[in-house]
Amino acid sequence: MNKVIVGNHAVSWGVKLARTEVISAYPITPQTQIVEELSDMCARGALNARFIKVESEHSAMAACIGASAAGVRTFTATSSQGLALMHELLHWAGLGRHPIVMANVNRAMGPGWNIWTDQNDSLSQRDTGWIQLYCETNQEVLDTTIQAFKLAEAVNIPVMIILDAFFLSHTSEPVDIPDQVTVDRFLAQRETSIKLDVADPHAFNALVRPDAYMEMRKDQQDWMRRAKTVYAEIETEWKALFGREYGKIEPYRTDDAELILVTSGTVTSTTRHVVDQMRERGTRVGLVKIKMFRPFPTDDIRRALSGAIKVAVLDRNISPGRSGIFAEEIRSALYNIPMDDRPKIFGYIVGLGGRDVTPAVIEDIVEQTQIATQPTREDLWVGVKP
Amino acid sequence: MTDCSLLTCGVEDERTFEMDDYADAMPRWCPGCGDHAVLTAVERVLEKEQLRPEQTVFVSGIGCSSRFPHYLDTYGFHGLHGRALPLATGVKLSRPDLNVFVVMGDGDCTSIGAGHWLHALRYNMRMVVLMLDNEVYGLTKKQTSPTTPLGFPTNTQPRGSYLPPLNPISVMLGMTNASFIAQTADWVPAHLFETIEAAFHHDGFAFIRVLQRCPVFSANIFERAVKSPDLTELLVDDQGINVTNLGGLYKNLLRHDPSDLDRARWLAEPSDKIRLGLFYQNQAHPKYEETRKVKHHTPAEKIALLNTELDRYAV
Ligand SMILES: Cc1ncc(C[n+]2csc(CCOP(=O)(O)OP(=O)(O)O)c2C)c(N)n1
Ligand code: SF4
Repeated sequence: MNKVIVGNHAVSWGVKLARTEVISAYPITPQTQIVEELSDMCARGALNARFIKVESEHSAMAACIGASAAGVRTFTATSSQGLALMHELLHWAGLGRHPIVMANVNRAMGPGWNIWTDQNDSLSQRDTGWIQLYCETNQEVLDTTIQAFKLAEAVNIPVMIILDAFFLSHTSEPVDIPDQVTVDRFLAQRETSIKLDVADPHAFNALVRPDAYMEMRKDQQDWMRRAKTVYAEIETEWKALFGREYGKIEPYRTDDAELILVTSGTVTSTTRHVVDQMRERGTRVGLVKIKMFRPFPTDDIRRALSGAIKVAVLDRNISPGRSGIFAEEIRSALYNIPMDDRPKIFGYIVGLGGRDVTPAVIEDIVEQTQIATQPTREDLWVGVKP
Repeated sequence: MTDCSLLTCGVEDERTFEMDDYADAMPRWCPGCGDHAVLTAVERVLEKEQLRPEQTVFVSGIGCSSRFPHYLDTYGFHGLHGRALPLATGVKLSRPDLNVFVVMGDGDCTSIGAGHWLHALRYNMRMVVLMLDNEVYGLTKKQTSPTTPLGFPTNTQPRGSYLPPLNPISVMLGMTNASFIAQTADWVPAHLFETIEAAFHHDGFAFIRVLQRCPVFSANIFERAVKSPDLTELLVDDQGINVTNLGGLYKNLLRHDPSDLDRARWLAEPSDKIRLGLFYQNQAHPKYEETRKVKHHTPAEKIALLNTELDRYAV
């Protein structure tokens, strides 16, 4: 079924088709539509889930953890300040190994209050033990939402699906909505032996002493790594059923490219367009979109970028005191490859607080990178007023 | 004409302030929003009390109501959702000389900020606290709040709120150190003004719940009460809030001595009438800014204290 829907509703549809059993959330712009649509689906009986209305995001994640521990499929959505407020419980979900799925609509952190897109909210949660998947289109948002449940439950790690404020959340695009029967074939009801069960009682979250804590962490890390392979398998299965795939990263026209642009989120679509135009003019430029940020697809990144002369990373985020976060991760991923294959990394800071990243901005980045032999600093700010 | 207390420089402050002097940005609330009336009443109080803008600070959280500080030419702090009270606590504790006003919505105060709300009552620091209660989340466009009436449909509970509403007045009347608890409504401006005025003169934490119309998302909630003053009961007492010029519209007057806590609790229970007035006042509770005040020492006392301290170490 084809429908023209906003990115937020693409999430809601994914959650519905995944037959989510418990949803708990607190409203925040620009996420609110996701849970409002889900409340509506629950009220109409279109979705047989319990919707738990809570008094803050901190409580929303706590309720999801409780429900997940009881063995059911759970979902929440948030954004920016709400995600930050959840921080303590994000660790709890991650290390407690609860396969919760959450949609985060990327929105800038305050102060100053700003509701527009920016990746600092989700990237600040990098080390909480969540898988992070950044989406580019509403179709990808819907598909990824359904896949996320399968992935989370296969590795017992929570998954965060990330979409840009307004550029996706409130923008309508045609979306092919999969039919329930096929989705049911792809994603069975959640089954877990580790749950609160009166017939087989266990205590959760007991004190873990130094002699066991490290093993617990190592196990989390092993499964995080495994998630990369599991995700690839899930995508293969998805493609067989629905004909679409996205990849942990997506290289675009990178063969023979001297300069490769690296993007995530909706900036990717604009960059794709710029790359096409520049290719027509004979510029050897390509693009790598990063979808999976945690676990970090180091090998895929190495394969895609090694051999290029220059790489320009577009970061819609900033780690104050350092540089763009994607650029930083890519620098470290490439450090140990042979010197001759190692491109120069140019880290550009763009579009913070929802500022438009137009084709002109991207063309300017390409030109700057072509002219320079060496980046003058780790963070190259684009379009900042004096 | 007052002395400049900020600097105690002896220079006389000749300024007088008109209502307009307190106005800043053009309010962006919807037409008919009750918040406009609260802003006007607050500006009247500021003018009446001739509060100097630089000695006055408005702290808010997040919500339509929390845009308040933008519209006043005093100091303002537009804070985080639910955190207005701890922010104000920090301001007051470090600058007890400032006139502190706090503005929150019902979600801000009784939902995400509920923990802070109760503790702020217990701290009992001198400030005027306004909760603009439209019984719904306004800024995020109509979701159920803790004060949403039972059965009222919203975007998060389309089939109506499942729970009876939280009663902020009775919650506060159960709280340690509660010292001033009043209720008023945006559509009774004279009462609104007198209530804020009384709160300003209260020596402690003065909490006002303002029933606030949101014509966009909860239009029908207060409609009957607005149209039929008979459905309202005014709590009156020589010690309470007495408004005389209501044009004879509000005829149900109920004598209530605001020092009577038990009766206040009884009056706070849901009834067929909306009760406006001062439920409870007690100025005997210690204020936290006094409890935690750093004692002022004369130079001689400071030397004596230092010597005592140094005597503890033998050389
Ligand atoms: C941590 C966090 N969660 C959620 C939000 C989104 N949010 C902004 S205002 C608001 C509720 C506003 O309702 P209320 O406090 O009743 O004030 P009103 O707008 O009705 O005046 C919410 C949920 C936020 N800003 N921060
Ligand atoms: S939405 Fe309601 S509370 Fe917010 S400004 Fe408009 S009328 Fe006022």
